[in-house]
Amino acid sequence: MGMFILRRTGVMLLTAICLTFIVFIMTNLYPNLEKLAKNEGNFRMSDAEVASFLGNRGYTQGKLQNYGEWLGVLPGYVIEGIDGKTRGRCSNHGAIVEDAGRYCGVLQGDWGFSSRFKEPVLKIVATRLALTGKLMFWVLVVMVPGALLIGVMAGMREGSRLDRSLSTGAIVTTATPEYVSGVIFIAIFTSSAVGLKWFKGSATSAMENATLENFLLPVLTIAIYGMGYIARMTRASMAEVMTAQYIRTARLKGVSFANIVLKHALRNALIAPFTVIMLQIPWLLNGVVIVEVLFNFKGFGWVLVQAASNNDIDLLLAVSVVGVVVVLLTQLISDIGYVFLNPRIRIS
Amino acid sequence: MGGTIRMQMDVKAMKDPRTHDWTQISIFSAGWLEYLVEYNNDGSFTPMLLTSWEANADATQYVLKIREGVKWNNGDDFTAEDVARNIIGWCDKGLEGNSMAGRMASLVDEATGLAREGAVVAVDSSTVHLNLLQPDITIVPGMADYPAQIVHKSFTVETMVSNPIGTGFMLPENLEVGVKASIVRNEGFEWWGYAAGKGGYVDRIEFIDYGSDPATHMAGFEAEEFDLNWESTGEFVELFDSLGLVKTQVASGATIVVRPNQDHAPYDNKMVRQALAMAVDNNVINELGNASLGVAADNCHVGPMHPEHNPDVTRAPFDPVKAKALMDASGHGDFEHELRSLDTGFWKDTCDAVAAQLRDAGIKVKRTLMPGSTFWNDWTKFPYSATNWNHRPLGTQVLGLAYRSGEAWNEFAWSNAEFDSLLAEANSLANADERRVVMGKIQAIVIDEGVTCQPYWRSVQRHNVAGLVGVDMHIAYLPQIYKWGHAA
Repeated sequence: MGMFILRRTGVMLLTAICLTFIVFIMTNLYPNLEKLAKNEGNFRMSDAEVASFLGNRGYTQGKLQNYGEWLGVLPGYVIEGIDGKTRGRCSNHGAIVEDAGRYCGVLQGDWGFSSRFKEPVLKIVATRLALTGKLMFWVLVVMVPGALLIGVMAGMREGSRLDRSLSTGAIVTTATPEYVSGVIFIAIFTSSAVGLKWFKGSATSAMENATLENFLLPVLTIAIYGMGYIARMTRASMAEVMTAQYIRTARLKGVSFANIVLKHALRNALIAPFTVIMLQIPWLLNGVVIVEVLFNFKGFGWVLVQAASNNDIDLLLAVSVVGVVVVLLTQLISDIGYVFLNPRIRIS
Repeated sequence: MGGTIRMQMDVKAMKDPRTHDWTQISIFSAGWLEYLVEYNNDGSFTPMLLTSWEANADATQYVLKIREGVKWNNGDDFTAEDVARNIIGWCDKGLEGNSMAGRMASLVDEATGLAREGAVVAVDSSTVHLNLLQPDITIVPGMADYPAQIVHKSFTVETMVSNPIGTGFMLPENLEVGVKASIVRNEGFEWWGYAAGKGGYVDRIEFIDYGSDPATHMAGFEAEEFDLNWESTGEFVELFDSLGLVKTQVASGATIVVRPNQDHAPYDNKMVRQALAMAVDNNVINELGNASLGVAADNCHVGPMHPEHNPDVTRAPFDPVKAKALMDASGHGDFEHELRSLDTGFWKDTCDAVAAQLRDAGIKVKRTLMPGSTFWNDWTKFPYSATNWNHRPLGTQVLGLAYRSGEAWNEFAWSNAEFDSLLAEANSLANADERRVVMGKIQAIVIDEGVTCQPYWRSVQRHNVAGLVGVDMHIAYLPQIYKWGHAA
């Protein structure tokens, strides 16, 4: 078990390094750097101004050199610019600060400085991840029990009227993307055009103070989409288990239907949905982009969009590392969870 | 007095005021950084940190009088030295992205890219002299534009938010780029404006970022998460109206010209040009081509938003019968005009409406739609086409760019010696009242020559909840937050 986790961690590190290197190369292509310079300097900068801006801030050094500086295996640049000012990476690309170290990369715990938000990357990622965490938590609270309940109910008597109606419902919600259901929810429940105005169509205030009124719609929009998918998985798995020999044996022995479902079928039927639920978590992390933008909830998905559209190099790198960690961590949990759900599986 | 106002606005990162490229940046720093001169919706310029200014006869020398009794919020006195230092700073072409250098061009030494020796002189503690290279009446308007915020001598970009020294009545509280920002009253600071009766009513202003999609802004309005928005555009103007919000609207100098180019026959014929303008009812074009988001104009590219506009000179009256008669008399009665425009938006709608009116008058017109990628390559050269022009504070500015003989942007291919000399005269008169006399003659020439059909001025507008005062849309989006308040 220990070896297994260690190996997984190794894979995670390797993936993170490969991914960040790719992201690094992409964000350091010259057109992207030009965009960065114009965002930071001025939209009407001339080509010469862009070149001096980039040169003064170390962007035109070798790519490997810059990547090494970001990792913290090479010392950060200190450049005297053509405007006479000296800037350093370890002083947030600005005027030299006295107590700045020589190395300032990820290995030293410095994740860099966001050019878009003018704040340390670590702080932004922590704040925004916490907000998305809040959203995800409530989504999972609504989605997982709901989906399992629907799936089990549909799957325990395959082909019944209950199964047909629940399955149809599940297919409809899964086939409706968030940007459709979200807009429909906003139109029906929040606008004065319809006149209900039960909820708020903007979750901006939910960042500080989440209430049922301002937080229900974004949670519901994501939850409903994922719910149908997990419910379908659970139903298929449940339906298969219900045809197994041991269920028939239990039934012949006269065990009540409720007992068969709860004590005998459920545990086996949950193995497949468990993996799916775990896979949903990294999906949620990126899938929230649409809902966060639609409801103006500034979480991790929004940061991803902002970082990408402003070519915020340090922030994009950190975001991709978080992505790698979340994907591999949830997979690790799902692998370990298997062992407890299915005693026949061993991790060696 | 008191209270909080919340505004929907893009919250952008702070930078040196001279390099501000969005008015949204300046409105935040306007909490503590102020302007020498203020530009108003009626086209006038009023003094803020100055008390007055005066130009010599040909607008080559200016005397700026500094407001006395103004204090920086760290206790320092505000003096002529401060003003001179800021103006010299504006002239620094070497600063990446400094747009003030262009506005101060008549003070800049081309060789060094800095202010010329002796161009800006602090004569005594309350007087600054400006010595210009050539006549320039745009220099004071330039000082009223959004990047022209006055900073303290200890100013650095890095500390401008953490150590906010300024002359304004508020201080920054927090700035979270892309999320929200707030400024609060600087309690205990004796702002000069309180005594001068300028206002400074609210205790706190919050700016909340809702991205660029107006549908999200609408949801925010409905959720009562803010009190006013930054700007209402297009179909959302009507939607916000329907929510029962208060609309403030101002006709700006942004406009469109549907013009013939005189290098091409038959547009070298004055009667043809007059007929094209005469056959068009500008009110109808504003309604059909601009969704009534503007006011009808007078075909001379100078309007009520310009300080020197002469309202007595108006367009040749709308008269389709006389227009057809003029066209026939010119010998081009059967000529089929080809009106080109971009294939989208108000360009297309406006030209469609103009063409329909010409056809109603009995003049033959063919419409040609072009994508932006090909249209803008040749926009000055088409025989008959439509171009949009942005707002500029003085009436003489666009005339100088587009109507003067030989200018690169003279899409009318118009050349008129009398107009040129009158414009040169207007450009040496810094006083708007004196300039108005000359401007009346200029307007009359442009209209009589049938240089263009300029159907409407486009308005800018924003919405707010009931019960606010002073939050009106500004013609140039300038941050006059000291006027904001709650109705008593």
